[in-house]
Amino acid sequence: METTLRIFFSSLETGSVYALASLGIVLIFRTSKTTNFAQGVIGTFNGYIAATLFLKWGWGIWEVTACALFTAFLTGILIDTIIIRPASKVNPVSKQIITLGLIMIILGILPWLFGIDFLSLPRFIPITESTRISVLGASITYNAIFVILVSSTLMGLLFWFLKYTKWGLAIRVTAADDTTSKLMGVPTKTVTMISWATAAMFGTLAAIFIAPQTNVNPLMLADVQINAFFAAVLGGFTSFIGPVVGAFILAISKNLSLIYISDEWGNVIVYLLVLVVLFIKPYGLFGKKGVKKV
Amino acid sequence: MMTYLKQLYKTSYPFRFLLFGIVLSFLPLLSDLDIIEFSALTTWAQIIIFAVVALGLNLLLGFSGLISLSTAGFMGFGAYTITFLSNRFDLPFMLAILITLAIAAAIGVFIGLLSLRVEGIYLAIATLFVGEILQQIYKQVDWFSGGFSGVRFHYPQFNLIFTTIELTRNQTFIFLVACLVLVMTVIYNIINSRTGRALMAMSRSEHAAQAMGINILKYRLVAFVTSTVIASFSGILYASFMRGVEPTTWNLNLSLFIIAMVVVGGYKSIFGMFLGAFVIHGIPTFWLNEMFASIPGFAYIFSGVLIIVIIMFYSVGLIHIHHDIKKLYLKIKPYVIKAYKKLFTKKQEKGDKNA
Repeated sequence: METTLRIFFSSLETGSVYALASLGIVLIFRTSKTTNFAQGVIGTFNGYIAATLFLKWGWGIWEVTACALFTAFLTGILIDTIIIRPASKVNPVSKQIITLGLIMIILGILPWLFGIDFLSLPRFIPITESTRISVLGASITYNAIFVILVSSTLMGLLFWFLKYTKWGLAIRVTAADDTTSKLMGVPTKTVTMISWATAAMFGTLAAIFIAPQTNVNPLMLADVQINAFFAAVLGGFTSFIGPVVGAFILAISKNLSLIYISDEWGNVIVYLLVLVVLFIKPYGLFGKKGVKKV
Repeated sequence: MMTYLKQLYKTSYPFRFLLFGIVLSFLPLLSDLDIIEFSALTTWAQIIIFAVVALGLNLLLGFSGLISLSTAGFMGFGAYTITFLSNRFDLPFMLAILITLAIAAAIGVFIGLLSLRVEGIYLAIATLFVGEILQQIYKQVDWFSGGFSGVRFHYPQFNLIFTTIELTRNQTFIFLVACLVLVMTVIYNIINSRTGRALMAMSRSEHAAQAMGINILKYRLVAFVTSTVIASFSGILYASFMRGVEPTTWNLNLSLFIIAMVVVGGYKSIFGMFLGAFVIHGIPTFWLNEMFASIPGFAYIFSGVLIIVIIMFYSVGLIHIHHDIKKLYLKIKPYVIKAYKKLFTKKQEKGDKNA
């Protein structure tokens, strides 16, 4: 019981990080019709900014996070206006390859701007004896609770925003049909730009949440990114709630198999299971088959 | 004789590949004569190896519009499996190649069947994950891959009836060139066969192709498996020229570089893949890395920017650039002639005045 609860808590923490990253991917997929492989490195880039501000200028973690979120917002807007929008006419495969090109550019820029040393970021609430509570024998840190709360609030806000506001409606109609919504007077360019900015901010938050567990290095989000993709695929790229559910399912089953089956190959087993699920349900758990017109 | 060769050059693509191969075979000679450096030959060999992978990936990316992110993983698979088979079981080189390729094809069929049923993005994601697993295997399964230190291999050995001969470095280079010509010819023949025509139809419009009775899944699978097999083959070439395999080579970045080669060279072209490999791998290694030594990741930035610029402004790829240069030349030729004439006549007039 105690171990299971502990696994559950830690899965909630990693699951919310995956969910943030995969929501970003799905937002971009729906509004710009491309799979953003660069989601991870965009987050990493801003994570580096945060870590540099923290280490070199001695700012607190809260200020640093606010600053990184702001630069993430700018990065998202910049990428959309400079690269994605001019390329909106190219075919979908080339668009995906553009995001792969973005990965290469950012990976090349990182050591040039920030040096080759790995950086580090602290937790929001440092772990001591007094900052953890135990629930039925399994302890959970305040920091983990904070991460879970922040991510779930953000996701809740996003869902509320998508469902009940005018801009949310704009995003949903852009996702449904780009051309028609443009004809109806929806500012699709702004919608796409804001989705890129939001996705970049989500990626950056994921980077800042995951950084204390390892360190800040160019590949820090590689694992998160792969999991986020799998979560999105498992939940279905065509729904917004699917990826979040997929992220938590993935996190819990990964942690369970890592502990109860094999600590080296647990991941692999879960991923294979996901592939099998996809074979049976190709559009994900919540996804619908898109109608393609010739 | 000359006219016959010219005729052959104009009509037969495989003859052009052969000619190209013969030209490349002079590189070891240049290296022996110290005209190019010793290490430059290694770079040329890598360019050839990358051109081979790119040719395979081109079939998938250029024709069926699917992205595979485990190309590097499968290259590593070829490299490790051939070393494993040769070192552990002492299999002859050719037999080991055949077994390696057969296993690679089987894995390709398995992954393809699992992930090709739906939209293209799933293949990219599934192969992203396959690449990660393969990398984990290379790093952690010591009996297969030798762990972090990697494994040693030798130049290709061929069993003759009584003796075994091992190729020298220069001969191995020529062996690589021969393989490149072979793969070019194979790809050319695939493109011009029933499969190639089906793939071409699919790349224009999947729905139209389906309506004409082309089984999309089947041909996607064919393209994916072919690209997997060719990637493993180039891994074999890598292991035999570099005489060893290291686990850290086969990461996602290498797959991205190979995609960059296909994009930069030009979808659906054959010589374009060599050009792409040269631009993406050769140019940074030969010149740019030295010029920009202060920027550690310069090769990445160069390739990334090149991919984006080429997709946005020149999506047919660099192989077609000579057409545009020719067009530009023809366009400005009249003006140039006019300008020359003007200059010339003016000078003459001046001369007349002086006289």
